[in-house]
Amino acid sequence: MSSPLRSNALVKIAWVHLVSKKRQTIVAMLGVMFGVTVFIFQAGLLTGLQNYFIEKTVNTTAHIHIYNELRAERPHVLDNVRAYDSTWKVVRNQKPRDEERRLRNGYQILRVLEQDPRVEGVAPYLGLQGIVRFGTAQQAATLAGVDILREDQLFRVRENLIDGDMLRMQTIPNGIILGSGLADKLGVQVDDNLAIISSKGVVLDMKIVAISKTGITAQDNTRAYITIRNAQRLLQQSGTYITDINIRLRDVNAAQTIAAEYQSRYQYRAEDWVAANANIFGVFRIQNITITFVIISILVVSGFGIFNILMTIIYEKMPDIAILKAMGYRNRDISTIFVIESLVIGVTGGLLGLLLGFIASVIMSSIPLNIQGFVSVQFLTINFNPVFYLVAFGFALLSTAIAGYFPARKASRFDPVEIIRSR
Amino acid sequence: MQSNHIIVANHVSKVFTDPVDFRVLDDISLTVDKGEFVVLVGPSGSGKTTLMYALSTLDTEYEGTITVDGTDIASLSPNQLAQFRNSTIGFVFQFHYLLPDFTVLDNVSLPAIKAGVWSADEIEERAMKNLQLLGVADQARKRSSRLSGGQQQRVAIARALMNNPKILFGDEPTGNLDSKNTSMVLDILRDLKAEFNQTILMVTHDLQFAERADRVIAIRDGRIVNHE
Ligand SMILES: Nc1ncnc2c1ncn2[C@@H]1O[C@H](COP(=O)(O)OP(=O)(O)OP(=O)(O)O)[C@@H](O)[C@H]1O
Ligand SMILES: [Mg+2]
Repeated sequence: MSSPLRSNALVKIAWVHLVSKKRQTIVAMLGVMFGVTVFIFQAGLLTGLQNYFIEKTVNTTAHIHIYNELRAERPHVLDNVRAYDSTWKVVRNQKPRDEERRLRNGYQILRVLEQDPRVEGVAPYLGLQGIVRFGTAQQAATLAGVDILREDQLFRVRENLIDGDMLRMQTIPNGIILGSGLADKLGVQVDDNLAIISSKGVVLDMKIVAISKTGITAQDNTRAYITIRNAQRLLQQSGTYITDINIRLRDVNAAQTIAAEYQSRYQYRAEDWVAANANIFGVFRIQNITITFVIISILVVSGFGIFNILMTIIYEKMPDIAILKAMGYRNRDISTIFVIESLVIGVTGGLLGLLLGFIASVIMSSIPLNIQGFVSVQFLTINFNPVFYLVAFGFALLSTAIAGYFPARKASRFDPVEIIRSR
Repeated sequence: MQSNHIIVANHVSKVFTDPVDFRVLDDISLTVDKGEFVVLVGPSGSGKTTLMYALSTLDTEYEGTITVDGTDIASLSPNQLAQFRNSTIGFVFQFHYLLPDFTVLDNVSLPAIKAGVWSADEIEERAMKNLQLLGVADQARKRSSRLSGGQQQRVAIARALMNNPKILFGDEPTGNLDSKNTSMVLDILRDLKAEFNQTILMVTHDLQFAERADRVIAIRDGRIVNHE
């Protein structure tokens, strides 16, 4: 049914049609090319940025975070006093009680969690706000009391160190690891001594053992790691006092279910990493939807370009179609000609688009930007995921196929008698 | 029904319904013998072209039966019909209908390529032989749109003969040509009939044609009015 000679003839006819409409053909190809280029470039840029951000965030967010959620509405201390009559009772300035943040039996929970086979690592945490002072320079800081080895297992502390040695946190009693922004503002280096002061008025002398730079600006500017014991001292608390437990799971995607399970078991808030970053993922989703619409509309427009040129060719070449049919070419042969034409446009435009999208991405990813914002980025991290290239090409072919199908069908259904008569 | 009949039309009628009902063919019965050169004449609008389309399988919407080379046309599917036309029938139209962007050789080769019986070399050989027969072999590599009207019509005849059709149909093939080219085409058709026993059915206004035919069928208002 398809001898090579015959398909060659159909290809040749298609080719001659396209060449006879060179300019329109090129415009249609450019349409497809543009669509594919934008697809690859935008998708690469956006998901590259998102992935970078997710990676940064996920590496610094526990898969599950257990803490004691402070309720904004506390029952009033007088609610149960003389509730039976309407006597006025006034107590102003009822304060939340400090120990409410505490995880009771925190270390016991920690040890139980460690036995859970789904859990890769567990780290206790005791955070507080304090002041870091170096001579006359002082900065507010978030003092993160951690068990540094466990913390490293969860958050890759060591990978982010730009100076110093993490393990000295264990060998000296008063080690501190400063965020790079914090260190810069204070003008300190590794091995410098500084003081930290808590809201309880406790002052501790510390020695800088390392400096860390995660790339997340907010953290680098404010966070300092200290030992849990020192954090407890600053808060004047006993050695079992912790406020948070962070968990790293073997399977990140199981976080939601396991978090729910822990929450009901321990009666503390157990938040999974997706929930913790819900607002970010929401933004990503909106970004992705927007970009999808942009890309789809470009491809639809390029589809119309193909449709347009094919219809032009078909009406111009009606006599050719009629005579081919009169000499015994089938409807299928005729539609093949026009399908070939649309495929030539789609494949050529698509391949050019892949190439151009790739080149644009490479160029974009090699321009130094040094953005200091939400996260600090030196180069745009562009996602070169081959799936994008496949999907973009697939979409180009799909829109081409749809745009080519209707003209091809129309051409194949022309009645040669009518065409020959109307000449 | 003698086996010598290559076309048999039995009580063929056709009605156009647009814009008003109009009986363009009215109970036409005729036969054409193998090797016969038949000419269809009649006033403008009498239905000659319509009849030729029906006899040549291009138009299948009519009442009655038409048998070509022993096959009832109505029994064929569209694909079979295309195949049948490709192998059995050659066309020459008033306007030449060459594909303008292709060379003469390509144009002539197209029916043979569709047939898929011969190799590329064989096809080129046949095409050149046919072009030679029609005296346009020297134009083979030119784009067909560059040729004169008379040359184009001869190329169209060469193309129509490519697959050795059992019948050569023509609708006023000389209608667009000057008298010199007209008589040249006529001579060629005559020679085809004489040398290759080619069956030919031509629609024409041209009385020259009628003189050289074996038989003239005259039509008026969709009816055959004489058999000579
Ligand atoms: N598709 C159609 N719909 C309606 N009427 C048609 C159609 N095709 C042809 N006719 C009419 O049928 C009649 C016969 O047309 P046909 O072309 O067969 O005539 P003809 O004998 O070939 O004329 P001419 O010598 O001018 O070519 C004409 O009146 C024409 O207007
Ligand atoms: Mg006519």
